[in-house]
Amino acid sequence: MRVLLGTVLGLPLALMLCGLMAAIVPVDWRQWLVLYLLLSVVLWSALIMLAALPATHGRTAVWLVATNGAAWILLQTTGLYGAAA
Amino acid sequence: MKAETLRKHIDLHGWLGMLAGLALFVAFFAGALNMFHEELHHWQEPYVAESGGGEGDLQALLDQVLAVTPEAAKLMYLVPGDDPVALWQDANQEWRFDHASDFSAAGERVKTPRSELAEFINELHYKLALPVVGLYLMGIISVLYGAALIGGLVIHWPKMKKEFFALRHQGNLRRYWKNLHNLVGVISFPFHAIFAITGAAMGCFALLALVAGTLVFGPQLQGAITEATEAWPTPRASGEMVEMAGVAAYVAAARAELPDLRVDWIEVQQYGDRNAVVDVAGSVPGWIAHHAHVVLAGDNARTLTVSSPGNRPFNHAALSPVYSLHFGDYGGLLVRGLYFVLGLLGCLLFFSGNVMWAERRTDRQGPNRSAIIMLRVTLGVTFGVMAGLAVSCIANKVVSHSPWAGAVAWSEKGSFLAVLLLTLLLALRAAPLAMCRWGLRGCIALYALVPVVQGGLEGFASWSEPHIYLVNIALWAVAASLAAVEWLRVRRLRRAGPHPLWESAPPAPTGEAGLVRS
Repeated sequence: MRVLLGTVLGLPLALMLCGLMAAIVPVDWRQWLVLYLLLSVVLWSALIMLAALPATHGRTAVWLVATNGAAWILLQTTGLYGAAA
Repeated sequence: MKAETLRKHIDLHGWLGMLAGLALFVAFFAGALNMFHEELHHWQEPYVAESGGGEGDLQALLDQVLAVTPEAAKLMYLVPGDDPVALWQDANQEWRFDHASDFSAAGERVKTPRSELAEFINELHYKLALPVVGLYLMGIISVLYGAALIGGLVIHWPKMKKEFFALRHQGNLRRYWKNLHNLVGVISFPFHAIFAITGAAMGCFALLALVAGTLVFGPQLQGAITEATEAWPTPRASGEMVEMAGVAAYVAAARAELPDLRVDWIEVQQYGDRNAVVDVAGSVPGWIAHHAHVVLAGDNARTLTVSSPGNRPFNHAALSPVYSLHFGDYGGLLVRGLYFVLGLLGCLLFFSGNVMWAERRTDRQGPNRSAIIMLRVTLGVTFGVMAGLAVSCIANKVVSHSPWAGAVAWSEKGSFLAVLLLTLLLALRAAPLAMCRWGLRGCIALYALVPVVQGGLEGFASWSEPHIYLVNIALWAVAASLAAVEWLRVRRLRRAGPHPLWESAPPAPTGEAGLVRS
């Protein structure tokens, strides 16, 4: 169950965390998009592993939902989404 | 690290490995054979002694395909070889292909049924031969595999040095499997890390793009992906028909830009139109990221752009090793041979991982229905896939040389499925120890037999043909590897009794009374 939670909720979290990094790094994300996707895959795998460490399913779900929410809110403070579209 | 945390990591590593292990076994075994994909394409066809082996005429193929299928001008790939292939999309966006030999002297398409063995092995490798969902499933499996690898690294990093020398015959059989699993895992870790990341990136690409586009970058992502992954934007037809420069001119222009270029394929778009674009794609030897593209205008073969090692955007430079490291096509036969061996060792890793999970669960919880089912399914799938592919190879040769040659593709896939299901059924009924013994011996015999059947039907002189020789050697190498495993198994059983799980009766219909302890 924790692995399932990690797999489902770890994907958006990994992409958003790497997106936050893309917002911080002073190089246009388009220039290293492939690396961004590869880093996201590695982070996704690591998050699945981390998601299985809490003692209960509930705790896993809570911290994954909370970090997803926090990452999404932080992303709104960047000019990443739709910028220069 | 705290003992409790370590225990959690070990449990997680076991669960993830167990979830992904069987699919990875299939992918790795088919992938090991797929290292000789091009050679398998030749092996699968009936041997013709007088074959010249020269390059076929790509221009003639292009013209013939366009003459009978004008819509193929929109997008077509030409793959050189002694019997070159054209791949194109029909009006329903379905991929079709034609060999040069599919056309008569009058230019008519006269399709003859062909073997699909090499393609079937490839499909087993990257999508378990499952339509639609297979690729995505393998992508997710690769991500879980990556998580299991990270867990394995956390568990083994502190004692890495010791585990290089840990394959000792001490204690019970489980300790032996554990040591073998650790040794193989530690030695081949970098190789597995490459596969987990590149496999997940390829399998989950659409999913990653969808979620990243929705949550992170918005609609601008699609254009950025196109720019990051394609050598040249897709051209639109102008509607004005002009004369094309021709394949020979494209290849000459590409070689003028990159003298060392080995042409792997030629992509033509809007052929015959003023806006036609031709991408001569191939490899520049001496680089891991060896892929290169020379994009030319279709009408006069003038160079539009060149993307080659040391001369391309960062995205292209990052994408090229994703493919080359995964496919092992950057270092000639030596690297392919290494990937083949590491692929077979990977199979041993996943098999031993599943066995350890089942034994560990039995040790912790006592006689256990899920453990015995897992062990039996593992034996059934692993031996079923191995035996199935060997029988598929035999079916290819026997049916190709029979009056029913038209059913060769059907016979390859049908025999694989029949053997897989039969072996799975057998594994669920027979005692695991006996299943292991007879499964191993049966697979050894089958893989030793395939080259003999091929030689017997097509003449043993065919063994001197390089591609047939290489595939036969690979098949015998599989037989030799399985013989080594059988030798280890027999030697181990002489020194220590098997885990009770291996001598268990078939699982009871309900409850947990499926084990009979010896």
